[in-house]
Amino acid sequence: MDASAWIQAIANGFALGWMYVLIALGLTLILSIMGILQLAHGEVYMIGAYVTYFLCVSLGVNLYVSMALSMIVMAVFGIILEKFLFRPAQRQVLPPIVISLGLTLILMSFAVTTFGLKEKSIPRLAEGSLMFFDSAVPKDRIIAVGFAVALLILVYLFLKRTKYGQAMIASAQSPEGALLRGINPNRMSSLAMAIGCALAAAGGTLAGSILMLNPSMGTFPLMKGLVIIVLGGMGSLLGAAVGGIILGLIDGILPVAFEPGIASVAPFIIVIIILLVKPQGLFGHE
Amino acid sequence: MLFEIKNLVVHYEGAEVVKGISLEVDEGEVVTLIGSNGAGKTTTLRVISGLKSPTSGEIWFQGQRIDRQTPQSVVKVGIIHVPQSREIFPYMSVLENLRLGAFLRKDKDNVKKDLENLLENFPRLKQRSRQQAGTLSGGEQQILAIACALMANSKLLLLDEPSCGLSPIMVQEIGKIISDINRQRSTSILLIEQNVRLALKLAHRGYVLETGKIVLQGTAEELTRSEHIKKAYLGG
Repeated sequence: MDASAWIQAIANGFALGWMYVLIALGLTLILSIMGILQLAHGEVYMIGAYVTYFLCVSLGVNLYVSMALSMIVMAVFGIILEKFLFRPAQRQVLPPIVISLGLTLILMSFAVTTFGLKEKSIPRLAEGSLMFFDSAVPKDRIIAVGFAVALLILVYLFLKRTKYGQAMIASAQSPEGALLRGINPNRMSSLAMAIGCALAAAGGTLAGSILMLNPSMGTFPLMKGLVIIVLGGMGSLLGAAVGGIILGLIDGILPVAFEPGIASVAPFIIVIIILLVKPQGLFGHE
Repeated sequence: MLFEIKNLVVHYEGAEVVKGISLEVDEGEVVTLIGSNGAGKTTTLRVISGLKSPTSGEIWFQGQRIDRQTPQSVVKVGIIHVPQSREIFPYMSVLENLRLGAFLRKDKDNVKKDLENLLENFPRLKQRSRQQAGTLSGGEQQILAIACALMANSKLLLLDEPSCGLSPIMVQEIGKIISDINRQRSTSILLIEQNVRLALKLAHRGYVLETGKIVLQGTAEELTRSEHIKKAYLGG
């Protein structure tokens, strides 16, 4: 295999990896603050992509503006989901699972009936490619990674530098401690859902502009997201970022280096090996 | 009266654990609640801070009724609860923990000043201000938990077993911190302590809680002299 194929593979891996990171970040925020495994998060990602598609392709709004609007729409959607679906099921085990699984079906059916089963596409983020060591890397992938990195940095700064960000971290580390300092747990859950859903919408849009849109496009990234938060360590944002990139690179490089059969099983085997060595995940506590 | 509980009844998993107690804490007073495990002390504190709902009874603070309120509104009126488990944020720095103590305060400039003063008063915390709170020793974590409560500008502190699990030297230090807080800031304190000797040394007055009822009350001196206290809590 020549160098240019390798560079392609790594570029694809990075682009994929960052889409996974966006999903995993939201999942891990929601899990650590609300204690809920949001199994419909992949569908939020999918609907986010379709909202961008609707704004951009059907209404002719600029792609970047559409993406920003889609993030806002999905953030509001997340707040509504938290308030009316997840909050009543707080601190229970089965109801949130049933609710999120049901939500998966509802959102998927909604996409099928509204947009149809046929694949759609969002315009590319940019045309053309840049040359790296004599091989072409499509510009849109570079822009997608740039966006994802920028969003991750924004989330990091919000959590580290703002009062509400700190309150979110605190709620995740000690819910009772947060309560006793006057932090409203419901507000923290709303914030977690809003941020998580906005990130998913961004991920869906970026992925949709590189690949295609279809109603089941969220299933696979959700599985990746779940693997990432286990790999990175439950509730660790750094873990989600590093785990996402590792998984993306594995996914990008293995299909080029090995036959497809091995390539699809290998990521899980690698993750199992990592977890055997470090059961709490790469950056997990305890 | 700064703080008053009237005929408080609390059920826990169906059983009546607090059976109609009444107690008072006056401005600038340290009041201790003595009793063995399961007497209902911790439950009483959890009801005051809004973590648990009472079955009946009333809680008053500065002329305002505060029972059945959310923990946020209890913090807002100036009552801060430091539970036995301390509930600091283990993976955040000492400084971040202290800032969160002032979460509900809007007077940013004063918070900054208070933080500086606090670090001067607690050199142990200043030394470790950038360290993760979970890496502190048990005693340091207890000091941090109390310091966080001070950052909230509290008028009444609820301390649950602050000396629990600490070395004798640390117990002395915590005792000194508590009496300093009371003297220098005139913060009122409701103190639960297994270490009855320490509790009676720090407190002005005390109540003895046994199986959900107050069986004895009085000034710290009276309680120290009481035969019942000597026999049951001070080992003869």
